[in-house]
Amino acid sequence: MDDSSRQHRPRTLIVGVGNPILSDDGVGIHIARRLNELKLDQVDVEELPASGLELLDLVLGYDRVIIIDAIVTDGGKPGEFHVLQEDSFERTVHGASPHGINIATALAMGRKIVADKMPEQVFFVAIEAEDIVNVSESMTPPVAAAIPSIVDRIVSEFVSDD
Amino acid sequence: MPGPIINDTPTKTTEKKITIDPITRLEGHGKIEIFLDDAGNVANAYLQVPELRGFERFCIGRHVMELPVLTNRLCGVCPAAHHIASTKALDAVFQADPPETAKKLRELFYMGQYTHSHIAHFYALAAPDFVLGPSAPSNKRNVLGVVDAVGVEIGAEVIKHRSYGQKVQEIVGGRATHPCFGLPGGVSKQISEEERANMEEMAKSCVEFAKFTKKILADIVLANQDYLNLILNQDAYYLETYYMGMVDKNNKSNFYDGDIRVVDQTGKEVVKFKPDEYLDVIAEHVEPWTYMKMPYLKKVGWKGFVDGASSGIYRVGPLGRVNVCEGYTTPVAQAEYEAMAKTMKDLGVTGPVHHTLAYHWARVIELVYAAERMLELASDKSITSDDIRGEFKEPKEGVGICEAPRGTLIHHYTSDKNGLCTSINMIVATTNNYAAINTSVKQAAKALIKNGEVSPGLLNKVEMAFRCYDPCNSCGTHALNGGPALEVNVRRKDGAVAETLKNF
Repeated sequence: MDDSSRQHRPRTLIVGVGNPILSDDGVGIHIARRLNELKLDQVDVEELPASGLELLDLVLGYDRVIIIDAIVTDGGKPGEFHVLQEDSFERTVHGASPHGINIATALAMGRKIVADKMPEQVFFVAIEAEDIVNVSESMTPPVAAAIPSIVDRIVSEFVSDD
Repeated sequence: MPGPIINDTPTKTTEKKITIDPITRLEGHGKIEIFLDDAGNVANAYLQVPELRGFERFCIGRHVMELPVLTNRLCGVCPAAHHIASTKALDAVFQADPPETAKKLRELFYMGQYTHSHIAHFYALAAPDFVLGPSAPSNKRNVLGVVDAVGVEIGAEVIKHRSYGQKVQEIVGGRATHPCFGLPGGVSKQISEEERANMEEMAKSCVEFAKFTKKILADIVLANQDYLNLILNQDAYYLETYYMGMVDKNNKSNFYDGDIRVVDQTGKEVVKFKPDEYLDVIAEHVEPWTYMKMPYLKKVGWKGFVDGASSGIYRVGPLGRVNVCEGYTTPVAQAEYEAMAKTMKDLGVTGPVHHTLAYHWARVIELVYAAERMLELASDKSITSDDIRGEFKEPKEGVGICEAPRGTLIHHYTSDKNGLCTSINMIVATTNNYAAINTSVKQAAKALIKNGEVSPGLLNKVEMAFRCYDPCNSCGTHALNGGPALEVNVRRKDGAVAETLKNF
């Protein structure tokens, strides 16, 4: 990861977050694995089964980070995805009480404490999930079917234009 | 730095108020339901937690050697604990006794997990209540508010040392999260002298940081009479339960290996058992309103959500372990254990500490122990030996137990002669505590909510009764907008929601 010959180009990290044995909860991991197979130049790919402070350990030192995870929103259709930025999560950062450190809070902590090592840009690709409670290595059909187009979109939007 | 805000002004709740969040998770968050009677006092209170479904079915028929990497997928928060309990269960399944080096490496890895987990809980989850105050505005009462109050330098130290705990796990365990080094009768990976020396340096730094944390607890919490009053509040935060935890042959606390000791309300040993005897000691109660079972001491029996000698409810985790042990094998942790006993004695308390909020105090003692033990093990040059794997035999049935940061963790597998899993049973730490957590929530709600008067600060104080257990419900799910989420509903007698608070 510290290959000095790469230092003149922006370094990108793609992080797939989720649990690959929990149905659609693992969609971020499955997408990250596809992206890893593409062996993209200047791009590192990591899998993160936990969230929060573990993420902070990973992102330090990168120029750009793309976090891929499942989401469940009111009225969202399984397989749809949203591209979000850090400010989309302002409300969840300042939750009513601190039971856990979610991703947005961890990034906000990083910006406060180790600002100079934080990536300039952080994007979230959030995929609407249908089943996040049943233990299974398979995703539901609409979520599995959406993966190729999401992979293409990530490559075209975040990777190819450098 | 302004002082913590401990109290706020409650207002009478009359209106039905339901908050609908546009991007909330449909399932998967914990929920506290508080039911009020006609007079607006608390009739009942429950904590409901999500549980993921179908894990047992998923495991049956797979090779048992897969279980240490599958079971640790149960949880993004304490995968290392599942990995260790599972690996120890495989030792039993294959009747294998790992060589000393492998045992030391497993324990070293595990001390890395404790260091990271206890630092994260103390600074990110407990400190907002202590540094900013239980009644501080909710948009400030979080880890970012703590960093603002104590300074960026301390925040950087927190991140650094939590990360050291992760790095030790990564060096020994192959990966920091979802480790893969445990094998029946040993470990898969030898470590180099360079790696050992690196871990020794990190461990030294962690010991110093643990001592610093001990001082923060003393200066900010124990030296503040208002907080002491909160901790000593027997109406809201006090249960005389049994306690359970692992000890070594001298009854010193141990997180990796030993027998499981249970003490009663006076500190007297009730039973000490080996892992494969757990079903003789523990039975499980089922309630209709939750998927999660409630373990209790079989010989005492289930009497509902009450404490006392006739109720089989026991507590695990930091307070449970401090109460079952007779001290620590490392010097600073032992001194801190003695200091806690002396402070409590001066307050008129001898025997087990039944004060629920003392979980935080116990956790800091354990952070010191974990860091000191990590240093002991990382300083031992013999851990670079290549003698890391032992013999194993034909698989059968086995139980592995370790102390997860949140409490006693039990894995029990049976295998056919080909190594295929035929049954699996797990009792995880938060499940062991579930009956006690419910009892604590009910007790705090009854003591703090009177005449229908509530405030964010009061409801947060109810939450404090459960947060100090560091309950880990993330064996469920974690989607992006989730994280460990909690909703508190206060309901009138007709079931209508009078007040809702949520952290998501």
